[in-house]
Amino acid sequence: MSGRAFTQEPRQHQAELLCLLRAELAYAAECNAGLRRYYEAWPCDYRTASRIADLPYLPVGVFKANPPLALVAPDKITRTLASSATTGQTPSRVVLDADTSKRMTKGVLTIIQDFIGPKRRPYLVIDTPQSLEGNAEIGARAAAIQGLRSFATEIVCCLKSESADHLELNAEKLLACAARWRSAEVLVYGFTYVLWQHLVLPLRARGIKLDMPNVRVLHSGGWKRLQDQAVTPAAFAAGVASVFGCAETQILDFYGMVENVGIVYPDCEQGNKHVPAYADVIVRDPRTLEPARVGEQGLVQVCSVLPSSFPGFLVLTEDIGEIILDDGCRCGRRGIGFRFVKRVPKAEIRGCGNIDTTRERPTAAAEHD
Amino acid sequence: MIDLVQTVNSPEQITAAALPLRARALSSQLTPIQVIEVLVRWGAALRGPALDAIPGVAFLRLWLRRGSLEPMLLRELGPGALHGEWRQEGLARLGVLPVGVVGHWPAGNIEIQPLLSMSCALLGGNACLVRVPSGLVDTTRAIMQSLHAADSDGALTSRIGMIAFEHERMDLQQAMAAAVDGAMIWGGAESVSRIRRLPFPHWARVAVFGPRLSVAAMDAESWSNEAEQAAWCQRIARDVWQFDQQACSSPQALFLERREGLEVDGFVRALRRAFEEENRVHPRVDIHSALSSSICLVRASWLLDAGGRQAVFPMSPDWTILLGSGSEIPAPTQGRTLSVLLVDDLMDPISKFDGAVQTLGIAMGNDAKELRLAQAAARCGVDRIVRLGRMHVFGSPWDGADLIRPMTRLVRHMPSLEA
Repeated sequence: MSGRAFTQEPRQHQAELLCLLRAELAYAAECNAGLRRYYEAWPCDYRTASRIADLPYLPVGVFKANPPLALVAPDKITRTLASSATTGQTPSRVVLDADTSKRMTKGVLTIIQDFIGPKRRPYLVIDTPQSLEGNAEIGARAAAIQGLRSFATEIVCCLKSESADHLELNAEKLLACAARWRSAEVLVYGFTYVLWQHLVLPLRARGIKLDMPNVRVLHSGGWKRLQDQAVTPAAFAAGVASVFGCAETQILDFYGMVENVGIVYPDCEQGNKHVPAYADVIVRDPRTLEPARVGEQGLVQVCSVLPSSFPGFLVLTEDIGEIILDDGCRCGRRGIGFRFVKRVPKAEIRGCGNIDTTRERPTAAAEHD
Repeated sequence: MIDLVQTVNSPEQITAAALPLRARALSSQLTPIQVIEVLVRWGAALRGPALDAIPGVAFLRLWLRRGSLEPMLLRELGPGALHGEWRQEGLARLGVLPVGVVGHWPAGNIEIQPLLSMSCALLGGNACLVRVPSGLVDTTRAIMQSLHAADSDGALTSRIGMIAFEHERMDLQQAMAAAVDGAMIWGGAESVSRIRRLPFPHWARVAVFGPRLSVAAMDAESWSNEAEQAAWCQRIARDVWQFDQQACSSPQALFLERREGLEVDGFVRALRRAFEEENRVHPRVDIHSALSSSICLVRASWLLDAGGRQAVFPMSPDWTILLGSGSEIPAPTQGRTLSVLLVDDLMDPISKFDGAVQTLGIAMGNDAKELRLAQAAARCGVDRIVRLGRMHVFGSPWDGADLIRPMTRLVRHMPSLEA
């Protein structure tokens, strides 16, 4: 069942979005000399482009710049969001002003409502109370947690922390609210690996089942850490469903990134991801960078008209995706259906006899392979 | 029909493959001239649509000629070496003999590198055990088929063992290292270090090639000469395109000498035309998504990071020209991405070179200036200074070292009977 976010006829959607994006690019070019240089060097003039695919996109790596790329004066910045970079990596950072923040919140709400309905309900956060704090700079985890608070009638955070890198389940608190909310429709959110590591595993070790059959469990943040532990998405869903005592269909994995703030991509019941009216996704063939066709894989580009404080309108991600269909998903949502496949393997430059950059390999390539 | 590249799964298979190779190398002499005869026949046989499509085969065909091989051999091993003769030095006789079995660890991205490396060791009379990177197995098989056809009596092929195994299999890497008397290792820093740590016999000779990168430089007289501009740009494009700009001899940056009153725009337009033409003739067949992503990032970062910069590129990742100024070599992106940097004096970037720069491709309009520049580059660690368009011409010395001699032994015989 779909709501307003996913009902627009694809051609109309493309035409309207193209006009809005061209205007956003003109605004960005006015605000930032570097962007103006980039747009001018782009082989296709954005002012006359007839396809979204021809507009100048920014690779996601440019958001690692310090200071962050901004389209507003420093005094207008209300918050900075940072991506959840793994150890040794530089996080992406995007700046938000009040208007972008509002649009971001509304954007997430509209999408999530389409999947779980608009009703407000108890909100169980699989994280610490600090994740709800309104700091000037917050990470992707806190941003996702706070982005869902509009659905909450009350909020309980069931982890505790003695230091920044130490999380522990507050079992007493969890069991108390589980008893209180047993039959209620509860919204649960946690980062994928946090949910597994600090809720599922400890409860499973103690043989505790929460008996909360009406929960909707949302999680995001990616699978890398769980892949390292050989936990598959199916094993994850089974584990989470088992501790909550709910059906696996009530567990919803969504993809989001700070550079595409305000847009999240939950899986529909067909296993596809869809694009709301104020956004688009293009999968680009790595060889030509032209849009891939149905059934082809390529680099995922996300498009959004929500940000005005940073140039996140057209962002080429470091993810590989696949276009599943152009339109007509059986879930009822209009427009393309796509899936994320994997992260782009890292390219490292090592001088003579560098990595194999001419052949795609299933694992990160080494020179002697 | 024998499998020209054998997939191995156990250390015992590698040991068993090395034993007959060593016996062959040490028991029957193969003179360099005999090796050259077969290599020349092989080179002549390297033709056909399938082989022509393999990057570097055209070059291999040219390299496997008497005119390339004999001078290299004579320079490295001395007169008389062609026929395997011992030479007199005072009362003593000196003979050049093979070390035995040479193991080859070529890099995984240069299709002809297993063959080039192997040919150098064969010229020294050695047998070869070649670990073929998994991505090159098919192309190596195709090229080796020609060698088998050209070497009907097996003079060379009986001395060659080509094996393939996953690079993570340290037990197999160790077995291969233990089975050889010499090693020729090519590649990047990480893999070269890993291979060097393997348990080679204490007598084994180890020759390492790489990791390096290369740059180009043109004086103002050369790049501004409108009559010659198109030809120079075509040479640059060829140097960039060959091996997909991934070889250590591939230019990553081009330094242009600035001169008052000369605008670089015309040169950049000519370079663009040359890149477009080279791309038309040699279009990219495939690209790793990580490289495509890196190319997009460097295009954007180049223009976002600082003023006064320009970039020229098509919508596809086929090629990129980044134009700016400065004497530092930007981090290489590869993927046919050339940084063109204006400098007041070509000595500025050259004085900053370290041992990382292998080849300096040059176009200079003044002999004396070129000599000074070449000497400065040599002092700063550059091992090859060549004309633009010839940056990949593989020959000895390479990386400042001989290619054949390191895998030979110079044996001294002092006769016991006095003359």
